[in-house]
Amino acid sequence: MTKGASASRPLSPHLQIWRFTVTMAASITHRGTGVVLYGGTLLLAAWVVGAAMSPPLFSVVSSLIHSPFGFFIVLGYVWALAFHMMNGLRHLYWDSGRGLAPKTATMTAWLIYVASFLLAVIILWTGFAAGGAA
Amino acid sequence: MSKKGTSTFIFQRATAVLLIPLGAWVLFNIVVALGRDYAGAQAWLSEPLNAVLIGAFVIIGAMHMRIGMAEIIIDYIHSWMKDVLLAINWLVSIGLVAAVVWSIYSFSFSG
Repeated sequence: MTKGASASRPLSPHLQIWRFTVTMAASITHRGTGVVLYGGTLLLAAWVVGAAMSPPLFSVVSSLIHSPFGFFIVLGYVWALAFHMMNGLRHLYWDSGRGLAPKTATMTAWLIYVASFLLAVIILWTGFAAGGAA
Repeated sequence: MSKKGTSTFIFQRATAVLLIPLGAWVLFNIVVALGRDYAGAQAWLSEPLNAVLIGAFVIIGAMHMRIGMAEIIIDYIHSWMKDVLLAINWLVSIGLVAAVVWSIYSFSFSG
């Protein structure tokens, strides 16, 4: 197996080969929300570190959160966490060997999109009403 | 990651289970907490329950994040950059844990 040969072979089926399904979208979204949570948790940690020992760092994070763009950061983090947690429960259920039938998996994928959206709306609504960020 | 896939798989599930109650607590507290000013944030983090739970969320989250991001790097990066990114991913995760532990520690004894 030469280097040239291995470089020209496809690594896995490409996205455009597959017919689009909601289970595939949920899988991609699980990865995407994971990346969002990676970045968002670094920002959350910067907020904690700033509060503990660095007023300048805190004011950078705080002004970012309170900027017009900050609403989308908080919204994105809350929805990403809601989705990733709910879909994570779906993955744990799959690990038990259940819920893998195509019909069930499709139904739970839709359910998680709808439920995570509703939960994010409720959390942001009640959070802002109670004097929350942005 | 090679040769210890099973323990990584189990560890990712174990941290996922722990992150469900912690994540739920974060979801219902984060919006109001982030709205606080400097003094308000300090007061909030000086409450032991808040400090412990946010600390546990970030620390266990860092372990879970490291495995998830490593999976993504291994899937998509096949050049020499792979090892560099995996190393950065380790350092970011360790730095995250260290920064939050130090912060919570400083609140416990000065707040």
